[in-house]
Amino acid sequence: MSTVNSSLLKLNQLQEINPKKEQLITMKLLTLPEQLGLVSYRNQAKSEIKPHIVVDTDICNSVCPHKCTTYVCPAKCYTMDEQGQVHFQVEDCIECGTCMYACDQGAVSWEFPDPEIGRGVTWNYG
Amino acid sequence: MDEKFDCIIVGAGVAGLAAAMTLARNNMKFLLIEKGEFPGSKNVSGGVLWGSDLAKLVPNYWEEDAGWDRFINHRRLTFMDDKSTFSVDFKSSHFNETPYTGVVVLRSKFDRWLADKVQEAIEESDFAMDSFIAPNILVEEVLLENGKAVGIRTGDEKFFADSVIIAEGVNNLLTRQVGLQDDYVPADHILTGIKEVIRFDQDVLENRFQLRGKSGMSNEFVGFATDGVEGGGFLYTNKDSVSIGLVLGLKDLREKGKEPYEILNTFKKHPAIADMIHGGKVVEYSAHVVSSGDKRIMPKKLYKDGLLICGEAANLLMNAGKAIQGMDYAMRSGIIAAETIVKAKKAENYGEEKMKQYQNTLDDSYVMKDINNFQDAVHLLHDPVMTQKMPNLICDFGRNFFSIKNEPTQKARTMFGESVKKHSSYLELMKLGWKGSRAL
Repeated sequence: MSTVNSSLLKLNQLQEINPKKEQLITMKLLTLPEQLGLVSYRNQAKSEIKPHIVVDTDICNSVCPHKCTTYVCPAKCYTMDEQGQVHFQVEDCIECGTCMYACDQGAVSWEFPDPEIGRGVTWNYG
Repeated sequence: MDEKFDCIIVGAGVAGLAAAMTLARNNMKFLLIEKGEFPGSKNVSGGVLWGSDLAKLVPNYWEEDAGWDRFINHRRLTFMDDKSTFSVDFKSSHFNETPYTGVVVLRSKFDRWLADKVQEAIEESDFAMDSFIAPNILVEEVLLENGKAVGIRTGDEKFFADSVIIAEGVNNLLTRQVGLQDDYVPADHILTGIKEVIRFDQDVLENRFQLRGKSGMSNEFVGFATDGVEGGGFLYTNKDSVSIGLVLGLKDLREKGKEPYEILNTFKKHPAIADMIHGGKVVEYSAHVVSSGDKRIMPKKLYKDGLLICGEAANLLMNAGKAIQGMDYAMRSGIIAAETIVKAKKAENYGEEKMKQYQNTLDDSYVMKDINNFQDAVHLLHDPVMTQKMPNLICDFGRNFFSIKNEPTQKARTMFGESVKKHSSYLELMKLGWKGSRAL
């Protein structure tokens, strides 16, 4: 009887030691919109903001051989439509600077956002 | 604020704050301008602040439970293929002693804390009411008169000073404006850093990574982490979170047509990484451009009449394989820049010759000595043989070496030879060994 009890005890201990099933599941990966949803952007209450990056998409859509901003930008501010045309929006920009270096066609004019009327970020962790 | 300052510092990151602290302690009248809502609010780092310079700025900082997250006493360098990891792991209680050799920081918290310390130093200085930390101001122009920096402009407002220290960070628009950096810097020796902060219960984090008290771990990754793109990965333990991310060669990323956030997810799915981060909650996603340490993109000259460039605005950052050093370079260069300004004030001469002393002192310091000495290592780290073939070879060998089968075992030498043939060649390995022995 005592043997049964002690082995039951062992079983209980084992169950406690073994990680719970859900912990074994790989952590859920976030999509980019979910990742950007965690970013604190500035001046979100303002309907009109002054863009700190201006892109001459005519250059992207005429001479650029790679249109690389559409995939290297970590916030996907640059997108390509079905016709292969590049579009840019500044709202999601996290001020990383990648496009300023990646664009070798002179299409990107990059400045820092104005604290009052621009977009840009305030990092919570950094 | 009509009166002229001794110095205006642009940027309240690590370099700017180190400069400001040094100026305050030397009773200088200065204005430190930050474009973010508060110091640190625009900054992203991995990040570990290496070395002991922090103790020079804030003596006994370790007695405070603020600002920094953990000290590093556990280092790990991991080679990675798609299923395996092979690590060099070093942990030592030597590293438990103060001053610590490295502390993990989250910039939004750390820089703000350091700015509070600078404010305390201002209050103890002769210019308690005349030196300022001014956040929420974007400097649009450095004012030059006959080639000499005389102040800055923000919107319609101008502020004047005998000297200007530019500590604006890697996206150095003002450095370009004053002509010390090219208007367009190509992607060749620039990296994009991308990171998530993943939060855990502190107990879970401490048990999982074998942390006690405020001890912490830093782990760098080479190989599969970057999915074929040159660069590497990192994982650092914060107080109750980990910072996990990648640095990716921007030119290579452009050529390979890959998306950084997809590579990050591939990295996170790797079985060894998945084991480290399961159960955590992502609380921030961030990205920032990083310098590589390659001298070819650094501004040749870091001074002008009345003007100095420090921190990553001068591309002072290097990864030579041992650690990613940037914040410590920022700190030291900020200190040296401020000391140069202090001397200039005493001599009542802020001319170019006087400013040149900054670059000379920096050249004699460990910052430029290391950058100059380890250029070969920087190049080697961006060599595809090192970033792709070697990790695959090492992991392949590891898998064979550590597999115990109930059949006759080959000698390690033979196993290694087979892995070499599969992923590289002895000639390539010899070349790498030769380059490596010279580089390190």
